[in-house]
Amino acid sequence: MTNSFAVAFAVARKDLRAEWRTRELVPALAQFVILALVIANFGFQIDSRNAPAIAPGILWLALVFAGLVAFGRAFAAEREQASLEALLMTPASPIAIFAGKALAATLLLVGCEAVLLPALAIFFGTPLSIQVVAAVFVATIGMASLGCLFAAMVARVRARELLLPLLTLPLWIPFIVAGGQAVQVAMGASGSYDQAMALLVDFDILFVVLTSLAARFVLDD
Amino acid sequence: MTRYERAAAAAVVLMLVAGAAIFLYAPTDALQGPVQRIFYLHVSAAIAAYGCFAVVLAGGAIYLRNGSLVADRFARAGALVGLVFTTVTLVMGMLWAKPIWGTYWTWDARLTSTLVLWIIYAGYLLVRRLAEPGRQAARFAAVVGIFGFIDVPVVHFSVTWWQTVHPGPIIVNDALPPEMLATFFLTMACTLVLAAVMVVIRYRIETLTDGSVQRVAERAPIVSARETEAEPIN
Repeated sequence: MTNSFAVAFAVARKDLRAEWRTRELVPALAQFVILALVIANFGFQIDSRNAPAIAPGILWLALVFAGLVAFGRAFAAEREQASLEALLMTPASPIAIFAGKALAATLLLVGCEAVLLPALAIFFGTPLSIQVVAAVFVATIGMASLGCLFAAMVARVRARELLLPLLTLPLWIPFIVAGGQAVQVAMGASGSYDQAMALLVDFDILFVVLTSLAARFVLDD
Repeated sequence: MTRYERAAAAAVVLMLVAGAAIFLYAPTDALQGPVQRIFYLHVSAAIAAYGCFAVVLAGGAIYLRNGSLVADRFARAGALVGLVFTTVTLVMGMLWAKPIWGTYWTWDARLTSTLVLWIIYAGYLLVRRLAEPGRQAARFAAVVGIFGFIDVPVVHFSVTWWQTVHPGPIIVNDALPPEMLATFFLTMACTLVLAAVMVVIRYRIETLTDGSVQRVAERAPIVSARETEAEPIN
């Protein structure tokens, strides 16, 4: 068991070190989410009155598409170097390898959120409260487990850029429903923040368990 | 006539009987008028779609357990037929909604979750098409089918979990007069038979397709075997 954790952390460390040395993904994602905010500004005619109503939607749209790019890249490097096969040939359990890659991709997406959330607060004047950060972070955990599972799957499929959003987005909808509600309430809408957060945690548990069970069938080939 | 053609013909006749019951036997709704007759097929198609997706779930789970080709073919057949019935449910629902709600679509919990269900299983069929045929496609699709089924209870209970404009359960609540109830159960039985026949026919098609792929694959090794035999002579 400790061995599995060690493998997972080693894989995550490897991915994060590769990102640190190349510094490709996080700057690109940061630029991507800033661009999304700029485009939203032109699409919506935003002023101080309607910003709290529109900002949660923009936040989730930007986050979802940044997430798709991040998780798609998580396995792209392995595929380009054909190193995933080498990783899987080691005695380490595929679930531990999957968990490590998911952990690294999650941290990279969190890095992108660290740009998105302050940028949203600056450009749209919405509060950057602990509630908003907590809702986005809790949703990220479950979204990352699903995103990485399907990224691992499509890495070996034709037309993978096409398939990843088609498979992942419908299953992310529960997170966007609950996370969207939580952020809306945190930004001043009426509703129950606690209820939405409880639902997010439930979804996290459900999908982390399910993806760790399914990871074996996706990776082990 | 083969067995399959006979079964298909019987299913069509049953659907015509159901149609006759819907239009000739069931009374016209006092509030909604003739539009209410959409309800019979709309709900039956939804239940048939649930059933088909349950076949996908079971087939996928069995395939992941023991690699049974039969289970995988049933899953393939169930996904396609289920998608057809989900489409019927959505289209019939929209046709009903236009005169009753005044709009084809509203972002209601049940409508949205049903649309998501449609998208998930359309994605399932895309995985089958894009993944490498054989073990890989079957495995990946099984995983998608198992995850996708999570949405079925969400669709079903959406009218009780959230506040929606979609009518709630009226069958179990005893809100229908006996003629309407009888028509509904007849339509549901006929629709389920139709769905089962469609799954079985699709299963047959998948079996034949697998067989022809197999024969093409079998021809290839013969060529390579001859080549390897020829090598020592050189």
